[in-house]
Amino acid sequence: MKPLDPRLIRRARAARNYMILTATLGVVMSVAVVFQAMVVARLVGTLASGGQTSPGWLRNGLIAVAVIVSVRVAAAWTQERFAHRAAIDTIAELRGAVLNHVVALGPRAQAEDGAAKAAQLVTRGLDALEPYFTRYLPQLLMVVTVTPILLIVAGFVDWIAAVIMFVTIPLIPVFMVLIGRLTEAYSARQLRTMTSLGAQVMDLITGLPTLKALGREKGPARRVRRLSQAHQKATFGTVRIAFMSGAALELIATLSVALVAVSVGLRLQAGHMALVDGLAIIMIAPELFLPLRNVGAHFHASANGVAASNRAFELLAIPLPVVGQTPAPDLASAAIVFEDVSVKAPGRDYLAPADLGFRLEPGSLTALTGPNGAGKSTAVEVLLGLTRPDQGRVLVETADGEAVELTQIDPASWWEQIAWAPQRPVLLPGTVIQNLLEVYDSTPAVTPEVAKAARAAAFDTVVDELPQGWNTLIGQGGVGLSVGQRQRLALARAFWSDRPLVILDEPTAHLDPATEARILESIAALHRQGRTVLLVAHRPSLLSQAHQAVAVRSTAFSEALP
Amino acid sequence: MSRRTGAPDRGPEAHPTAGAAAKSTPKAAASTSSTAISATATSTAAAAEPRTAPTGPDPNTLPAVRRPLRRAVALTGLKTGQLLAAVFFGALTQAASVALAGTSAWLIVRASQMPPVLSLQVAVVGVRAFGITRGVSRYIERLTAHRVALNGMTNLRVRLYERMAAGTGAGAAAFKRGDVLARVGADIDDVGDLVVRGIIPAAVAAVLMIGSAAAVAAFLPVAGLAVFACLALVAVGGPAATFRAARLSESMASAARADVSASCLGIIENASELRVGGQFGRAMSDLKAQEKRLATATDAVAKPSALAASLTEIGTGLALILTLVLSAAAWHAGAITATEVAVIVLMPLAAFESVAGLPAAAAQVYKSRAAAARIVALSDAGHSPTSRPSAKRWRNDHAPEGALEAKGLTAGWQEGRPVVSGIDLRLAPGEAIGLVGPSGSGKTTLLTALAGLIEPQAGGATVGDAALFDLTSEARAETVAFIAEDAHIFATTVLENLRVAKGPLTRQEGVAVLERVGLGAWLRALPDGIDTLLDSGAASLSGGERRRLLLARALVSPAQYVLLDEPAEHLDAAAGRALTAELIAAARAAGRGIMVVSHQEDTLAPADRVYRLADGALGMVRPGHPPTKPAPNARQSGDQRSGDQRSGDRPADRP
Repeated sequence: MKPLDPRLIRRARAARNYMILTATLGVVMSVAVVFQAMVVARLVGTLASGGQTSPGWLRNGLIAVAVIVSVRVAAAWTQERFAHRAAIDTIAELRGAVLNHVVALGPRAQAEDGAAKAAQLVTRGLDALEPYFTRYLPQLLMVVTVTPILLIVAGFVDWIAAVIMFVTIPLIPVFMVLIGRLTEAYSARQLRTMTSLGAQVMDLITGLPTLKALGREKGPARRVRRLSQAHQKATFGTVRIAFMSGAALELIATLSVALVAVSVGLRLQAGHMALVDGLAIIMIAPELFLPLRNVGAHFHASANGVAASNRAFELLAIPLPVVGQTPAPDLASAAIVFEDVSVKAPGRDYLAPADLGFRLEPGSLTALTGPNGAGKSTAVEVLLGLTRPDQGRVLVETADGEAVELTQIDPASWWEQIAWAPQRPVLLPGTVIQNLLEVYDSTPAVTPEVAKAARAAAFDTVVDELPQGWNTLIGQGGVGLSVGQRQRLALARAFWSDRPLVILDEPTAHLDPATEARILESIAALHRQGRTVLLVAHRPSLLSQAHQAVAVRSTAFSEALP
Repeated sequence: MSRRTGAPDRGPEAHPTAGAAAKSTPKAAASTSSTAISATATSTAAAAEPRTAPTGPDPNTLPAVRRPLRRAVALTGLKTGQLLAAVFFGALTQAASVALAGTSAWLIVRASQMPPVLSLQVAVVGVRAFGITRGVSRYIERLTAHRVALNGMTNLRVRLYERMAAGTGAGAAAFKRGDVLARVGADIDDVGDLVVRGIIPAAVAAVLMIGSAAAVAAFLPVAGLAVFACLALVAVGGPAATFRAARLSESMASAARADVSASCLGIIENASELRVGGQFGRAMSDLKAQEKRLATATDAVAKPSALAASLTEIGTGLALILTLVLSAAAWHAGAITATEVAVIVLMPLAAFESVAGLPAAAAQVYKSRAAAARIVALSDAGHSPTSRPSAKRWRNDHAPEGALEAKGLTAGWQEGRPVVSGIDLRLAPGEAIGLVGPSGSGKTTLLTALAGLIEPQAGGATVGDAALFDLTSEARAETVAFIAEDAHIFATTVLENLRVAKGPLTRQEGVAVLERVGLGAWLRALPDGIDTLLDSGAASLSGGERRRLLLARALVSPAQYVLLDEPAEHLDAAAGRALTAELIAAARAAGRGIMVVSHQEDTLAPADRVYRLADGALGMVRPGHPPTKPAPNARQSGDQRSGDQRSGDRPADRP
C-alpha cells in the first residue's frame, strides 16, 4: 500500500494545491520550531548561567517568542481551515470522474457490480478521503519537511545528537514492518474470526422481530452471549497484536529523545558543549519525532482513504467501449435488424436474450414478449446501443439497402431519434411541465399539444391531483410520483415528441383496465401517425395490438456454447 | 512541531492491522480498521452519516431519550475498576512524558554547572526510565482501555437483545424501523468508541492538568497557576469549538451531503435513460450545484475546527511566555535556582499533549450521543410503564384451541394513536380469508395485533378463551405464526432458516417444502444444497427467492393459524397467484386457518372471504363461497427465475 497515491495528485487539482499549501506550512512550522528552540534556549540558558539579563534583553526575547508563537498559531489555523475544503473538492473531482466513467461503461458493466461499487464509492466510500486529507496527509508531509529540516538544524547545533536521531528514525519503520510480518498470518486469522463473529451477533439482533413473530426469541439469547464473548476475545486478540507496532514506534521515539538528553547532559558535564546548544537540542528532539508518531496515529485514516481512492482508480481503469462515429440514418425510413443477438447475463451462466433475430420495419408496431428474465429489457438496451451483443449483431438498413452496424453509429445522433419510456422513469428536480418537456432552465407553457399528449397518456388525471398542477415541483426535494405515475409522464413525453422510433417498456403495467384501454388507443394512434413502435409486453391486451410479436428467450450458457 | 489537535498521542490508533495485515489485505483493513472494536464493518459508514437521528413527530420514530450517554454507558455495565486502571495507565503515560521533559531540563542545566558525574546519576537513570515507561505504559493503557470497552460492548449487545426480546406491547414499534435495527451494530461500536476515545482521554487529561500544574507549582506556585490556566483554556475551548463545528456540520453539511448522495444514486440508477434522453449533462450540473452547497457548508464548519486546532498552539505559546516571565522574575528575586527556571519553562510544554487530544474526544462524544440515544430508545421500547405487568402477562402457557377471533380490536404502535380500530373478525380452523387495502391502511398492524405481538388498545384478539397477547411466546408460537413481509433471513443454512418456523424439521421435509414453493432448481444449484450458508440479510437472494423462502417457512410452521403478509410481493402475477393458492390449499388440507394480506385482490381468489381495510376500518369485499376446484399447483407457474420480479409493482415515491 502506498501512503500517497500519485494518481490522486495527478487527477485532482484540489489535492495538488492542498499538498503545496501543506508542504509550505510544514516548512514554516519547522522554521518556527527552530527559532523557538533557539530563542528559548538562549533566554533560559542565559538566565541559568547567570549571564547578562537586562530587562530590555528579556523583553526582546519575549517579543521574539510571541512572534514565533503567532506564526505557529496562524499555520495551525490555516492548515485546518483549508484541509476540509480541499478534501471535499478532491472527493467531488473523483466522484465526478467515477460517475462519468460508470455511466459511459453502459448498463452491462453497471449490472456486473460496477453500479453497486460506484454507488458505494460516490455515496460513502470516497468520504474516507476526508480524514485522509485532513489528518493523515498533513502529518505525512510533515515527516518529509519538518523531520529532515530539524535533523539538519540539529546537525549544526550538535552533530552527535543528530547522529543518534538519524540512526533511530529508520528503526521505527523497520520494527513496524517486522512486527507486522511476524504477526501477519495470526492477525489476518483473528480479523476474519472477529468479523465473522461480529456479523453473527448482529444477524441475531437484526432478526429479533422475526424470531419474536415465530415465538423463538428466548433460545438465541444464550447464543448472543456466547458469540459476543467469543467476538470480544477475538477482537482483543487482534488489538493486542495490532497495538504492538504502535508500541514499538512510541518506545523508539521516546527512548531516542531520552538518549539524546542523557548524551547531551554527560557532554555538558564534561564541558564539551554549551548550555544553550544543549537546551535547544532537547527542545528540538521531541518535535522531530512528533510527525512520525502522528503518522502512526492516523494510519487508519490513511488505510481507509487509500483503499477508497484505489477502488476509484480501479474503476476508472476499466476501458470504455469505443464509440461509433457514423451519423445515424433517418429512422423514419430505415429498418433495424437483429441478427441472432445473444447477450450473456451478468454474473450468471446463461444468455438473455439468446439468438434473438427480428426486423423492425419503419412504421411497424412490434411487441417483444417472453417471461421475466428472458432478456426483453436487455434487447432494448442493445437496440439503444447501450449494450453490445456478445454474439450476433444489429444492423441499420436504409431505404436504399445500405446497412450500417449499430456499433459504428454515433450514439447521440441515434438517441435523438428515439423516444424511450422505461419501466421506472427518472424524475429530475423541477416542475412537472419541465420534466415532461425536458427543459429545466425556463418555465415552458402548457401548449394544447402538451395537454393532448398528457390526455393520451392518461397523465392529465395525475396532473389534476397535484397541488400546483403542471407547476408542482417533483423529483428530489419535491413531490414524489409513483412508478405508475412516472411511467405515464414518460408516455406523455413519448407521445408529445416527434421522434420516429418509440420504445415503450411495459407501458400499462401499473394501470387499471380503463386507463389501460385509453393508453392502448393512444398507442394505436401513434402507429397511425406512421411512427415505429416497439412494445415490451406481458399483457395479452398489449400483444393483440402488435403486428409482429417477437418471443425473447434465454438459454443456459452451456447449451448455447457447445 | 506540528498540529496537535488530532489526538497526537494515540500511536497507530486503534486498528488491528497496523502492520502487514493492512498491506496485504487493504480491503479487510478498510472495513474494520476505523476502530479495533468494531463488531461490524459499518462504523465508518455511520461516521460518514451522522444525520439520521430520528426526530420529529413521525409516530414510528423512537421516543427522545434524556441523558442518552449516561444511560447507554450504564447499559454497558462498565467496571469502575477496569476503567480506573485504563485511566491510571493513560495518566502514567502522559506523566512519564512530562517527567521526561522536566528531568531532561534539570539534567542539562545541572550538568552545565559541571558537578561530579555521580550526582547526575539519578537524573540520567530517571530520563531513561521515563522514556521506557512512556512507551510501555502507552501499550498497557490501550489494551486496558480496549478491554473495558469490549467488555462493555458485549454486555450491551446481550442486554439489548434480552431487553428487546422481553419487550412487550408498543415495543414492537421499534421494530417498524428496520433501519434502526440495521445500524444497531454501528451504534454499539460508537458507544465502545465513546469509552476508548471519549471518556478515558478526558479523564486522563483532567488528571494531567492538575498533576502537571501541581508539579510546576511545587517550584513556583504562580507559574503553576499560569500553566493550569493555559491548559484549561485549551481543555475547555478546544472541545467547545469542536462541538460548535459538529453542530454546524449536522445542521448544514449533512443535508447537503444527503442531497449529493441521492443525486449520485439517481444518476447511477438511471444512467441509461439520462444518456438516451440527453439529460445526463443536466443531471451532472444539478450535482455540481449541490456540491457547491456542500463546499459552502464545509467552509463554515472549518472555521470553528480551525479555532480548535490553533487553540493548542495558543495555549502552549501562552504558557511558554508566562513561565518565562514569571520564572525570570522569580530568579531575579532569588526565589528559585537556575535549574528550576529550566524545569518550569520546559516541563509544561509536554503537558499540552494530553489536552491536545480533547477536541477529538469531544467529536467522539458528539458522535456517540446520537448512537447512544438510539440504543437506549431501543432498549426502552416495550418496557413503558403503561404496559401490563409481566406477571399477569405470561400466565398462559398452554396453546388454546378454537377459532381466532377479533372483537372490537383496536391496535397501533403508540399509545393513543390507533392504526386500526373496532375490528371484528373470525377465522376458523380450515378457513382462508383475504385482506386487501391500500398501503398505509394498517394491514400489517392488524396482522401484528392478531398475532398477539402488540397489545390491543381496546377490544381483543383471542383463540378460544385465551387472549393472544397473554400467551407465553412458546404457546403463542404454537397458536399463530406471523410471516412478515420484511422477515429476516438469518446468516445460517437454508435448513436452519426453515427451522426457525419449526424446530424439528428434517432435511427431507425441508427439501420437499422448497420444491413446493418453486425453489427446487435454486436449491439444486446451491453448492451445499440445503446446508448452504446464506449471507446475512440475504444479500445473495433475489427478491423472489427471498419471498419463496419465507413462504416455505409459512408452510412448515406447525401453528394453528398462519398470518401471511404480502406473499405475492416480488413475484410476477401468475407465480404470486399460484403460490398463494398453494398456501391456502395446504392450510385447508391441514385444517389450519390462514389469513393472507395482499394489495392485489386477484391473488386472493381462492380465499373464503375477502375483507378490505381502509382508514383503519374493516369492510367486506366478498362474502364466502365454498372452495370448488383444487388450487393450481405452484410448480406449474413456470421456472422460478422467470417468475421473480426484482422490483415490486407497488407505487414507489422515490424519484
